[in-house]
Amino acid sequence: MPEIRNIIKGCLAGSRRDQELLYRRHSAKLYAVCLQYSGNDDEARDILQEGFIKIFENLIHYKYEGSFEGWMHRIVVNTALEKYRNKHNLYRVDDIDLIPEPDAAPETDDYAGLEAVDLLDIIRELPPKYRMVFNLFAIEGYSHKEISQMINISEGTSKSNLSRARIILQKKVNLYTGLKKTVVSG
Amino acid sequence: MAKEGANIDLLFRNGLKDYEVLPPVEVWNNILPVIRKKQRPVLLLRSAALVAVFLSISFLAYRWSREITNSAQNPMIAVRDQFIPTRENTTNILEINKQPSNRQVTETSIIENPTDEKPWAEFIGEEYIESSDSEIMTEARAMSNTGNLIFPPSIQVIRGFSYNNEIYNTGNENLNKFDFEVPKEKMNRWSISAMASPTVYLQPELSSSDISSQISSGEQTRLSYTGGVGFSYKISKKISIQSGLYYASIGNEVDGISSFAGFHQYDYTKGDHNFEVLTSNGRIFTDNADIFLRDYSGDRVQTMYTNDVFDPAKANLSYINNSLFQNFSYLEMPVIFRYKLIDKSIDFNLIGGLSYNLLVNNSVHTVIDGNRYNVGKTEGLNPLMVSSSFGMGMEYNLTDKFSLNLEPTFKYYINPFNEFSGMKSHPYSFGVFSGLSYKF
Repeated sequence: MPEIRNIIKGCLAGSRRDQELLYRRHSAKLYAVCLQYSGNDDEARDILQEGFIKIFENLIHYKYEGSFEGWMHRIVVNTALEKYRNKHNLYRVDDIDLIPEPDAAPETDDYAGLEAVDLLDIIRELPPKYRMVFNLFAIEGYSHKEISQMINISEGTSKSNLSRARIILQKKVNLYTGLKKTVVSG
Repeated sequence: MAKEGANIDLLFRNGLKDYEVLPPVEVWNNILPVIRKKQRPVLLLRSAALVAVFLSISFLAYRWSREITNSAQNPMIAVRDQFIPTRENTTNILEINKQPSNRQVTETSIIENPTDEKPWAEFIGEEYIESSDSEIMTEARAMSNTGNLIFPPSIQVIRGFSYNNEIYNTGNENLNKFDFEVPKEKMNRWSISAMASPTVYLQPELSSSDISSQISSGEQTRLSYTGGVGFSYKISKKISIQSGLYYASIGNEVDGISSFAGFHQYDYTKGDHNFEVLTSNGRIFTDNADIFLRDYSGDRVQTMYTNDVFDPAKANLSYINNSLFQNFSYLEMPVIFRYKLIDKSIDFNLIGGLSYNLLVNNSVHTVIDGNRYNVGKTEGLNPLMVSSSFGMGMEYNLTDKFSLNLEPTFKYYINPFNEFSGMKSHPYSFGVFSGLSYKF
């Protein structure tokens, strides 16, 4: 495979082939990230599109330090965050939480049969604010302090949202695994 | 609870870690116009710079040619070469150029060049006038001595004097009978030519790694051709500048890559470049979903459909060929200088310059039963190549206007065909151009 340096160089020189090659190589992985942060396919497509435009615009600033994939990933996550903030900045929904605290779900280690596509479906069914906090904390590894600054909520709200997200996810996972077992045994 | 949370976090983190979903096609179609639009000003600036350079060269060449032309027609040079005023020839002129008043021209009315220090002085009777003196002296002398010596206009110009032509010409129309101008040799400065050449392209050896040697040994350049129309302008008798528009077709054969048809029914990804082939000119990407490629002798084909995943024999694919053919076409605009070494019945010229080559076609095919079967394209080719040319031109003049040309030419590509593959290869070529030219 061509070195990423050559592809970046080609992109910077305006080579359409290199631009397309860069997109083809990384779009599938980044689109999965977009789906993870969005509630529907249209939103995911918009995030990917805007994210890639930013990637091409900012390639000149890439210093070849660290992973290029990681650099692109951060741009796409930031784009998703921006979209989330634009959509939810009219009111601080986090402090007016009308959703009741869900009951804790029994935990199981038996996740047999759960595939990535199922996990993606489950995560996308979360309410946006829970999904955002869960993604940033559990998948990206940000702290509650960082998350609170990123999406303009308090640290406490971030913790609470995460807790609620986990409970909902656990329930759904149990449901999915139960359904799958039923289908297999039945 | 913390443990529970950690488990569910891990489940999602690990489960989605390498997950990929192909985005819809329209996403790229929406991205492309945006990024191209932003790059357009840069491309326009580059094009403008290229045009500016070309115009500057043309303007300088034009100015240079004008200067050379002017100096060739300068009477000073002509007189020094062909008309040195001596006692004899001046007397003759004056005798022929008798005045209407029939006044006798005396022997003292001559022009001489007595010494180097006083290159252009004249003796008129007892007078001695320095030529470096200006028009006051000339006019004074002219007023008083028009009967003795009439200077033809060209001589006056030679001597740097300004004068009123009417004064000298009054009653002296016979002067016009003398032609003091150097006879001009008519030079056909422009010529147009049609030339064509078979061309051999060669690649320098790549590095000695395994894959590089596989690539080098598995390829052979095919006979290519170049042809087009050029025009040239003769700056001087020896130097001319040439440009024009040529079409160059370059071919490369990649051996040992087996191709099969009928793969589309097994192509679950429906990707448009399932196979990549490493070549010295760059990387071939297939864009035909029906084609299957395999390199049985090496590792030049890169694909997810490897030996352990897919067997074309078991899938009953139709074998096509064992070679791929890369085709590149360029529009070439040369800026070439010629220096005439020998000016005989057959002229010999030294040729050198630069050519700008614009990629206009890039395709890869294989052949089945004599018919072409599209495979894809070579990725990352430089769209604009610059090559330097050196050669020797022979020109045989059939008539005053027409001549036959033969020009063995060597070209070296200054920028590589392809930087994308990481194997920067600067090809070179050798061709013998032949054709006809017409001077006007």
